[in-house]
Amino acid sequence: MSATDRRQFLIRTAQMAGAAACAGVLWSPLVRSQAKASAHALRPPGALPEEDFMALCLKCGQCVKACPFETLKLATVADDAPIGTPYFIAREIPCEMCVDVPCVPVCPSGALDREFTDITKARMGLAVIDPEICLSMRGLRCEVCWRLCPVRDKAITLNIVHNEGTNRHVRFEPVINSEHCTGCGICEKACPTEESSIRVLRHKFVQGRLGEHYSPSSDGDFKLQDVRRGTDIAKELNPGDKKQAAPGAGYFNRRGGRDGIIPGSTP
Amino acid sequence: MTSLSRREFIKTSIAATTAATAGFTVSQAALAQANAAEAGWKWDKSVCRFCGVGCGEQVATFQGKIVAIKGDPDAPVNRGLNCIKGYFNGRILYGEDRLTQPLMRMKGGKFDKTGDFVPVSWDQALDEIAAQFKRIYKAKGPSAVAMLTSGQSLVSEGYITNKLIKAGFRSNNIDPNARLCMASAVVAFYQCFGVDEPANCYDDFELADTTVLWSNNMAEAHPILWSRVTDHRLTDKNSRIINVTTYRNLCSDIADLEILYKPNTELAIANYIAREMIERNAVNMDFVNKHCIFATGPVDIGFGMRPTDKFAFPAEKDTLAKQLNYTIDKYEAIAQRRPEMAGKSVEQKDAGRADAHWHITFDEYKRGVAPYTLDFVAELAKGDPAESLDAFKKKLQQLANYYIADKSKKIVSLWCMGANQHVRGVWFNEQIYALHLLLGKYGTPGNGAFSLTGQPSACGTAREIGTFSHRLPSDMLVANPAHREKTEKIWKLPAKTLNPRVGTALMIALRGLEDGSVNFVWTQTVNLWQSTPNTNHWLKAARKPENFVVVADSYPTLSGKVADVVLPAAMINEKWGMFGNAERRMQCWRQMVNAPGQARPDAWMMLEFSKRFTLKEVWGELPLPGLKVEGFPENKLPSVLEEAKKMGYNENMTLYEVLFATPDNKKFKWPDPIAKGMENSVVNLLGDGWFVEKALFEEYRPFTFGGHDLAPFDMYYDDKVRGLRWPIIDGKETKWRFSEGNDPYVKPGEGFNFHGKLLKAIPSGDLDGVKDTTPKPLPGKAKIFFRPYAGYPEKLDSNYDLQLCTGRILEHWHTGSMTRRVPELHRTAPTAMLDMNPADAEKRGLKHQDVAWVETRRGKIKMVVNTRGRNKVLPGTIWAAFFDEGVQVNQLTLDAADPLSLEPDYKKAAAKVYKA
Repeated sequence: MSATDRRQFLIRTAQMAGAAACAGVLWSPLVRSQAKASAHALRPPGALPEEDFMALCLKCGQCVKACPFETLKLATVADDAPIGTPYFIAREIPCEMCVDVPCVPVCPSGALDREFTDITKARMGLAVIDPEICLSMRGLRCEVCWRLCPVRDKAITLNIVHNEGTNRHVRFEPVINSEHCTGCGICEKACPTEESSIRVLRHKFVQGRLGEHYSPSSDGDFKLQDVRRGTDIAKELNPGDKKQAAPGAGYFNRRGGRDGIIPGSTP
Repeated sequence: MTSLSRREFIKTSIAATTAATAGFTVSQAALAQANAAEAGWKWDKSVCRFCGVGCGEQVATFQGKIVAIKGDPDAPVNRGLNCIKGYFNGRILYGEDRLTQPLMRMKGGKFDKTGDFVPVSWDQALDEIAAQFKRIYKAKGPSAVAMLTSGQSLVSEGYITNKLIKAGFRSNNIDPNARLCMASAVVAFYQCFGVDEPANCYDDFELADTTVLWSNNMAEAHPILWSRVTDHRLTDKNSRIINVTTYRNLCSDIADLEILYKPNTELAIANYIAREMIERNAVNMDFVNKHCIFATGPVDIGFGMRPTDKFAFPAEKDTLAKQLNYTIDKYEAIAQRRPEMAGKSVEQKDAGRADAHWHITFDEYKRGVAPYTLDFVAELAKGDPAESLDAFKKKLQQLANYYIADKSKKIVSLWCMGANQHVRGVWFNEQIYALHLLLGKYGTPGNGAFSLTGQPSACGTAREIGTFSHRLPSDMLVANPAHREKTEKIWKLPAKTLNPRVGTALMIALRGLEDGSVNFVWTQTVNLWQSTPNTNHWLKAARKPENFVVVADSYPTLSGKVADVVLPAAMINEKWGMFGNAERRMQCWRQMVNAPGQARPDAWMMLEFSKRFTLKEVWGELPLPGLKVEGFPENKLPSVLEEAKKMGYNENMTLYEVLFATPDNKKFKWPDPIAKGMENSVVNLLGDGWFVEKALFEEYRPFTFGGHDLAPFDMYYDDKVRGLRWPIIDGKETKWRFSEGNDPYVKPGEGFNFHGKLLKAIPSGDLDGVKDTTPKPLPGKAKIFFRPYAGYPEKLDSNYDLQLCTGRILEHWHTGSMTRRVPELHRTAPTAMLDMNPADAEKRGLKHQDVAWVETRRGKIKMVVNTRGRNKVLPGTIWAAFFDEGVQVNQLTLDAADPLSLEPDYKKAAAKVYKA
């Protein structure tokens, strides 16, 4: 059975199961238990909020057929999503974030938003890290999730901290930024620990919410450290660029430069 | 999991972890059981199998298997940490397709070059190899056989193979893959300092004010060292990191200053900095006058390619022609003080004497760097088209500022393959040393030019043991009669046993398979048919009927596919071993487990092979066409059998008895208390009761006395020792060399003494050539070289319009033969993708994840385009890693090399990319 045949077969099986479920015959107890997708069953990019998505999805499998990486599949009986609906499990095959997002325009019902074109705007899920197991958090030079992240330095950034344990190295700690994480799951797929230390879950299983009565006064603490913090490198690199208060001041200032970089001086 | 903290829980054994995975809570009883299980584990020190950093590890074994590893908290290099490759050290032994039986191509029950691989016994394999070796050796002499080894070979393996081929077979055709890696660094060390060794050490990372990376992607290639450099940047607010690179790599994330330059123009940038030092009176004249001289060499030295296109593919011929005549552009003409030659063809007349060099005056040096003004260099070197010339100029000035900063500021320059794998790699290494010598900032704490090493024992084995075609142990040279004499004495060989002619460098040996000058090749710990450039040639050459290729490896590789015999090799902890890392640190481990099936250590293979040769077969008169060396007959090596008899040997003794199982060596008995009851497969298999590794190390040690002094074998195995940096004098290791108070070989009052002994008497002249041929001795001095900017053979044109650079990524080691066997590592980077600038991709109708053809004059392969990759390449350039056997990027690379080091340039091949 070729890959395409196999996919067709799986789609058909799922559709049949879906049809049976709709008919409400035999399957009803199962359907009730299956009415919600589990935390790690992710929807295709551009999917509407789950309730709307469920209302519109025709379980036709068009998006599954369009996916070039066989990421998407239609849920069958024992799967983690309601029968017949498209989903993917990141640890198995993540979303490769195709630039042209082929799965979305083929959706006949609008369960996948037709207006959706920019894959970096996808919010399929949100990555979350187990900080006790994550190798990078423990000071090892791993950072695989960060290096492979398609929106590296936005969705996953590195917080670089001194490693008190060795007192000689740093820890390159990966940090997830919900503002940019698309939930593609490439990180989860690649994580080298036996059970992935980074997982992509549907947002409601990850995100907390402040009480509405409270308005934070500052989010300064969330700003990440930069290794170079506290230095104005542009100024330091190009001392001549400084606005000169008076003729000659630049010259004198250069001699006393903070780094002791004294162009033109004798040693 | 109530009473037990999760962290404690993690530490417990396999049983407990299994329970956790299954979702059980762990009772105290189960935990006790788990602890009891771990109590049976035996922990011992070891060293990471992978890169040149040399991280220490602790390895646990239980019931004959490695069950766990951890970074060694007492190892000074890594203090308990690992990178992601190191984390899987214990797993690389257990890939599903480990080779466990010798395999030979057979038909009708006997060897046949056209047959399929069939399992055979070790005796059958070694007998056939010996027969083939003898056939070729008898007909063509010692120049037609070659051993190709590795910077990952153990110290003992390197020593055995080296001694067998040089002393036994009287051939210098042994060369390691370090030729592809560190050879340019070696030649620069020889030429500048007369000794091949880094003067600095890792301690400098914490001591330097400024760290400059020259074409060095340390973040991926030296992961744990990068963690140290970054920590220093983080904790010392006044320290700075500068990344001078041809593409935006992960180091740029941390660097304070990133300078993107065009390939090869670092040669011009270095000369600009030197010129600035002179212009700004920043040269430390006192240091320079006392401890240095100036030198230069010929310019038109070719590109290390064959001088003939007889064996070239048709498309390659135009590139190859540049070995003889090369058209220099406007910039090269100005940089080489011959502006009238711009656009003209220049005969590469000095290709045969690329390593010649002579003394010049400081004024001549000044004249040399004079053309390298800021304007000239900026225009030439600016790499990013989007950057303004002014902005780039400011960066160059700032780079010069950091070097010229006042005396109290300490600066370290770091480099590795970006500088070494370069058609002018030796020159560029020398230029970096020049910058530091001009300032007198070399070989002292926090000040130095530090050549990082790619492989775990490139220093300890390839360089120190001298498994190169031109070297003898401890920095001695084949071509030097006094060095041969000393070696013959230590090895108890008759005079003139050693072949005086330098052997074939690695690429020359592979070319030899193609042109018929070499017919026998045996490779160890190396996958050359994937890792050498321009592999399409060597893949075909290996299969020529007259050639015989032996590949010893632990896993099936592409090299094995084109071999005639594949020998299953034992891996790291399956044998006693010692590695020497980049900072002169020799570290060791014991054999912890047995190799699977019939896999056996390379040392045993060599020793067993040596039993198949008697003295009369190898120490009689041997043909050596073209030999013309004083004291030797023409075109042959003399018989030394008579002399051998006088020394008490007889002609029917085997090389095993004469070279290895000597009466002196047999005094080192096995078992030895240092083994703590652990196994030794080499000793067990030989069955004659001598401790091979210890005996041969103690035989080797006297070579090192007087400069590279190694400690006694047992000292390295002391439980408290985590490697020692040579020279070790009075039990003390040495961190910095050549400076008073740091190097035990520098006397009080000298300040500095560059006491290396090689190439220390040279003629004098000016920039244009030698004027006085009398060799002028320069004891204790270092050489500051003037080297001009020069181009490279395969520039871009309208057809091949993208420059291909290759390299490594953090997740995989070299050709992936080990790391791709670990499913978790494989998953992190299953295939080598083609890093491409998004604009270049778009121009070719390509988008991220598209499959494209990548084609050069030497071949074409399919790759998946990656515009989101970790390396942000500049327009006009593409980048690919070489780990992927499924991609084989080295079918595309060019085998042009530095003519001094014969190290290939993997960084500059002209390619085209189009949709597949």
